[in-house]
Amino acid sequence: MGISRRKFLQGGALAAAGVALTGKPGEAAVDAPELRTKGLKTTTTICPFCSVGCGLIVQTKDGRIVNTEGDPQHPINQGALCPKGGALFQIANNDRRLQKVMYRAPGSDRWEEKSWDWALERIAQRMKETRDKSFKAKELNKKDNNEYVVNRTDGMAFFGGAGLDNEECYLWTKFARAMGVGQLEHQARL
Amino acid sequence: MSSATNDYSKTRAFLIDTTKCTGCRGCQVACKQWNQLKAEETSFFSGEGYQNPPSMSEHTFTRVKFKDYQKNGQNEFAFYKEMCMHCNEPACASVCPVGAFRKTAEGPVVYDAKRCIGCRFCMVACPFGVPKYEWSKAFPLVKKCTGCFSRLKAGLEPACATACPTAITYGSRAEMLKEAEKRIAARPDRYVKVVYGKEEAGGTSVLYLTHQPLDELGFKQVTKRSLPSYTWQALRLVPGIFLTVGGSLSLLSWFTHRKDRLKKEEEQRQASSHKAKEENQ
Amino acid sequence: MTNHWIDLKNSDVILAIGCNPAENHPISFKWIEKSMDAGGRLIAVDPRYTRTASKADIYAQIRPGTDIAFLGGLINYALQNGLIHEEYVREYTNATFIINEEFDFQDGMFCSFDDQEKSYDPKAWAYATGPDGKPLRDRSMKEPNCVYQLLKKHYSRYDVDKVCAITGTRREDYLKVAKAFCGTGRPDKAGTILYAMGITQSTHGSQNVRAVALLQMLLGNIGIAGGGVNALRGESNVQGSTDYGLLFHILPGYLKSPEFDNVDLKSYLEKWTPKTKDPRSANWWGNTPKYTVSLLKAWYGENATKENGFCYDYLPKRMGNYSYTKIIERMGQGGIEGLVCMGMNPAVGGPDSNNAREALGKLKWLVTVDLWETESSIFWKRPGVNPKDIQTEVFMLPAASSVEKEGSISNSGRWTQWRYKAVEPVGDSRSDLHIIDEFYKRVKALYAKEGGAFPEPITRLAWNYGNGHEPDVHLVAREINGYFTKDTTIKDKDKTLEFKAGDQVPMFKYLQDDGSTTSGCWIYCGSYTKEGNQMARRDSSDPTGLGLFPKWSWCWPVNRRIIYNRASVNPAGEPFNAKRPLIAWDALEKKWKGDVPDGPWPPMKDEKEGKYPFIMLAEGHGRLYALDMKDGPFPEHYEPVESPARNLLSPVQTNPVVKLPKNVSSDTGKFPYVGTTYRVTEHWQAGAMTRSLPWLVELVPDMFVELSETLARQKGIGNGDMVRVTTERGSIEAKALVTSRLKPFNVGGKQVEQVGMPWHFGYAGLATGDSGNVLTPTVGCANTGIPEFKAFLCNIEKGGRKG
Repeated sequence: MGISRRKFLQGGALAAAGVALTGKPGEAAVDAPELRTKGLKTTTTICPFCSVGCGLIVQTKDGRIVNTEGDPQHPINQGALCPKGGALFQIANNDRRLQKVMYRAPGSDRWEEKSWDWALERIAQRMKETRDKSFKAKELNKKDNNEYVVNRTDGMAFFGGAGLDNEECYLWTKFARAMGVGQLEHQARL
Repeated sequence: MSSATNDYSKTRAFLIDTTKCTGCRGCQVACKQWNQLKAEETSFFSGEGYQNPPSMSEHTFTRVKFKDYQKNGQNEFAFYKEMCMHCNEPACASVCPVGAFRKTAEGPVVYDAKRCIGCRFCMVACPFGVPKYEWSKAFPLVKKCTGCFSRLKAGLEPACATACPTAITYGSRAEMLKEAEKRIAARPDRYVKVVYGKEEAGGTSVLYLTHQPLDELGFKQVTKRSLPSYTWQALRLVPGIFLTVGGSLSLLSWFTHRKDRLKKEEEQRQASSHKAKEENQ
Repeated sequence: MTNHWIDLKNSDVILAIGCNPAENHPISFKWIEKSMDAGGRLIAVDPRYTRTASKADIYAQIRPGTDIAFLGGLINYALQNGLIHEEYVREYTNATFIINEEFDFQDGMFCSFDDQEKSYDPKAWAYATGPDGKPLRDRSMKEPNCVYQLLKKHYSRYDVDKVCAITGTRREDYLKVAKAFCGTGRPDKAGTILYAMGITQSTHGSQNVRAVALLQMLLGNIGIAGGGVNALRGESNVQGSTDYGLLFHILPGYLKSPEFDNVDLKSYLEKWTPKTKDPRSANWWGNTPKYTVSLLKAWYGENATKENGFCYDYLPKRMGNYSYTKIIERMGQGGIEGLVCMGMNPAVGGPDSNNAREALGKLKWLVTVDLWETESSIFWKRPGVNPKDIQTEVFMLPAASSVEKEGSISNSGRWTQWRYKAVEPVGDSRSDLHIIDEFYKRVKALYAKEGGAFPEPITRLAWNYGNGHEPDVHLVAREINGYFTKDTTIKDKDKTLEFKAGDQVPMFKYLQDDGSTTSGCWIYCGSYTKEGNQMARRDSSDPTGLGLFPKWSWCWPVNRRIIYNRASVNPAGEPFNAKRPLIAWDALEKKWKGDVPDGPWPPMKDEKEGKYPFIMLAEGHGRLYALDMKDGPFPEHYEPVESPARNLLSPVQTNPVVKLPKNVSSDTGKFPYVGTTYRVTEHWQAGAMTRSLPWLVELVPDMFVELSETLARQKGIGNGDMVRVTTERGSIEAKALVTSRLKPFNVGGKQVEQVGMPWHFGYAGLATGDSGNVLTPTVGCANTGIPEFKAFLCNIEKGGRKG
């Protein structure tokens, strides 16, 4: 005579009770999962948001940033980060990041993808045209009715940028003044 | 089983001094980043102040709750980081039928997703309402804070503790309790004289200091005994009861059916002897 | 900042006014709380009870735009109660200086106001000078025309009751603030004032800052550990971008950009180089010729010679005001053909957004350089317009993020920190360094090929940064620091230094005005030396224990962590506070110990070589009384341009120097409530960098406005209801957050409600919403033009089209 269903269930229940009795409650054979950033290449950076200048470490794998967190060695933040700095990962990894040069023709309702070369060449042409057209070598001062040498390009304005690196700001200012641009402004004015 | 017999003083614990918390949510985002959790769809705010999302979930292992009210003409704007309490004697581990949860020696209560069968007993058992269900998945499991166990093993601190500039201190439970008592003694007008988590649920690895009364901030009132110690009262009797009651009932059954069995045996004997008699004529 | 972030731990009292560090500089709270752990106290002065206020020992409510009344009251309180640091005031400030007899102040106006021009002539406020040309002084500070007495007289009008009637602050709260903060006038106490846009974004913003500096000088808090005038700046490198002169009125290193009547280098230097007859005044701007010539040599290299004035003529000369709002105005009139927006979003970031967006539509061409689509780059298809009507040609260039390139940025504490490239730029994006290089090279090539209007400033520019895909950032950094153009011998006291052509200049005191040195930005001289890139240093030793971290990165000037630190010691060179000695004169070794001293000269007492501590001013003394502000030598309270109140202090309602635009209104019938704009932790500036990050959008997904429980009840507005806020400029819709943290202001016995909102939102990005700046007025500070974003009048109603 085989084991009846009743006997089977009884046996199972006994077995379960046995498991519950023996061993510590809830013991699971879990090995510590490995640190997901173990052995990854690490660089340091400074947060791009406010001006506290917290340090971060950035870890990459196969050319992709996989972890961003506070730099524990940085004297100001000592590894801490507010939510903005903490979300740096999502600046590096984000579908909404611009990846292509886009162009909008006058009156058009959409973007067209262009090459860097195409766009930069045209931008340089626009800059030169506007400069040539609006360049003021001399200007009349209404207060004393005299003409003064001003060498200024009034038809163009350059804005930006508090998010640029120092070296970029330097080249931007150098370029702007060489172009005769007097209308140079950025976020500090606001 | 009681916590008095086990020493949790060397386990790692969080001291969250809410009087130092600015509600910045660096901890909330650091946890998302470290665990690569999805952002939830939210709308406006869910609760007081700038609180979001509406609750912890499979995608949100920790959340700062905002309290924004007035008391005696004074504004109270306070912040309370809710998270898994990593109890000394976790109820979740105790009720889990497949033993997916484990209280580690280091402190975190970790779990093995491979063992989880999604029965949700732990969700019912946890007095803090921590484990959350993967409603979004076809084969849902339970998710919660891991205490950044892998970071601890590598000599780092949990992501939230690392990210916090002010409120969270991380160290051995004994040290954190000592620090908490020290702060209360040094600034008696600043703190409510309770360390939440010291005894709740038999003691947890997350300890809180507050300025406002605990119930005003929304801290749950939880028994000071470890949860398994309650069920253990009953559970430890189960095998005995099972065996005793089951055994008695089986014995009773054996007796009550004995008459029938004997009767049957008698009938069979009569039937076979009758047959033999017929064959002999 | 005169000080820096970690230094906050050294403060005894921290006054946070017009700023909200817990929300906008959260990590700074690590150091604020270290001060509080050691017994320091935090004071939060703000129209709202913010996350900063929640941690403060004292919170005082203030009506937006009344900061001079508030601070003036503290100045008066300190003077009347003998709480000033007397030795500091007498020795280090111009308190003892005597002002010329013509100076006067009556009924809210200083003397010499021209009603036609609506401007003052600052010459009328000059010092009285003696026959030797030096300012006359009264060391007893008793002469009625000495600065100290004029100061006392001016601020005697700012008594506590008058002040509280203006600011709406409760008297007992104000007195708590006054007692606590003015208590730091003691030599052994340090008080710091943190400020940000609440102070600067006003038609009297510069005078607000002057009031902060004035109070700090009276209390002896400038130049000491835990003290200072500390601006909490808004962007990761707005300090650097300002240092590099990305503003119309300056060149790198805060040299003035030339004006039309600085006809040649000689007259430019003549006009802008301050002079002093006092040998004890270091008058550091007296070195202007050295820094100017070194800059021109960096820009024009070999082409810049003594004979041609170092190519000075190539620089554009300004005739007028080209500040941001003026540019937008000209743009709106069709006066500007092309705009390049290198990481800036005028469609959201400036005042009167609707007007700015219209103005963009008048451009012939627009170039934007960003990580994301912004409201500015897609202004032509924004809600409510037909792209067919907009003829602007738009080039949207994808930029690399901070982790996709290498370079330095400067934080608010002037720490210039190097950061590294972690990954290649995503997709086809490129660094701004590359983009600017391309602009220059291609324009230059066109001019070389075709000729055109005065090409020389472009074709003769020195631009030598290697031959790579983008400029070698180290070459740029080295040029910024500067190097010797020829073998040079310099005698520095008893040392003779030999430099070879090409050697990096070790510090700016070795820059020359004869063309033998270059330097792209003199204040950064010392950042990249023969020893290497100082900005990349990571030594976290802190020998003084004051948190200076002298070998972590590099700060300007010359790695001096707290500027004006010669004011932290008495004239004999002994620290005023022995417990926090920032610098101290070692009489045996004849040198200073501690932080880099603000000039190596012996203490002031030294008759032969001692110098006054405020080395950047011609007279070497801190200016309690200013000489060159457009709207007065002393800060004076005026109401914001849109105000619910009459000026209680004088009959002059608003800053007399500020011209009112047409679209402002003080009609409290139409606009009964005080409006203000601010920021939240979870978003940043115009929102492009945060409103597309899902983890941040999760926290604050929608535009919202905050209002008090009483106003909500009055208007039938429930928490989460859609509301419409309107000003003379326009109207927006948002969800309402009803909170007890906003309370009405007590204005002349009446309760005036406030409506506040963040300005981070716009129509581009993942999370969108109406822009707060649709509401704000295009009227700004008399000195800088920064718009009055913080105080305007508005109305609020329940309901909106979006439902």
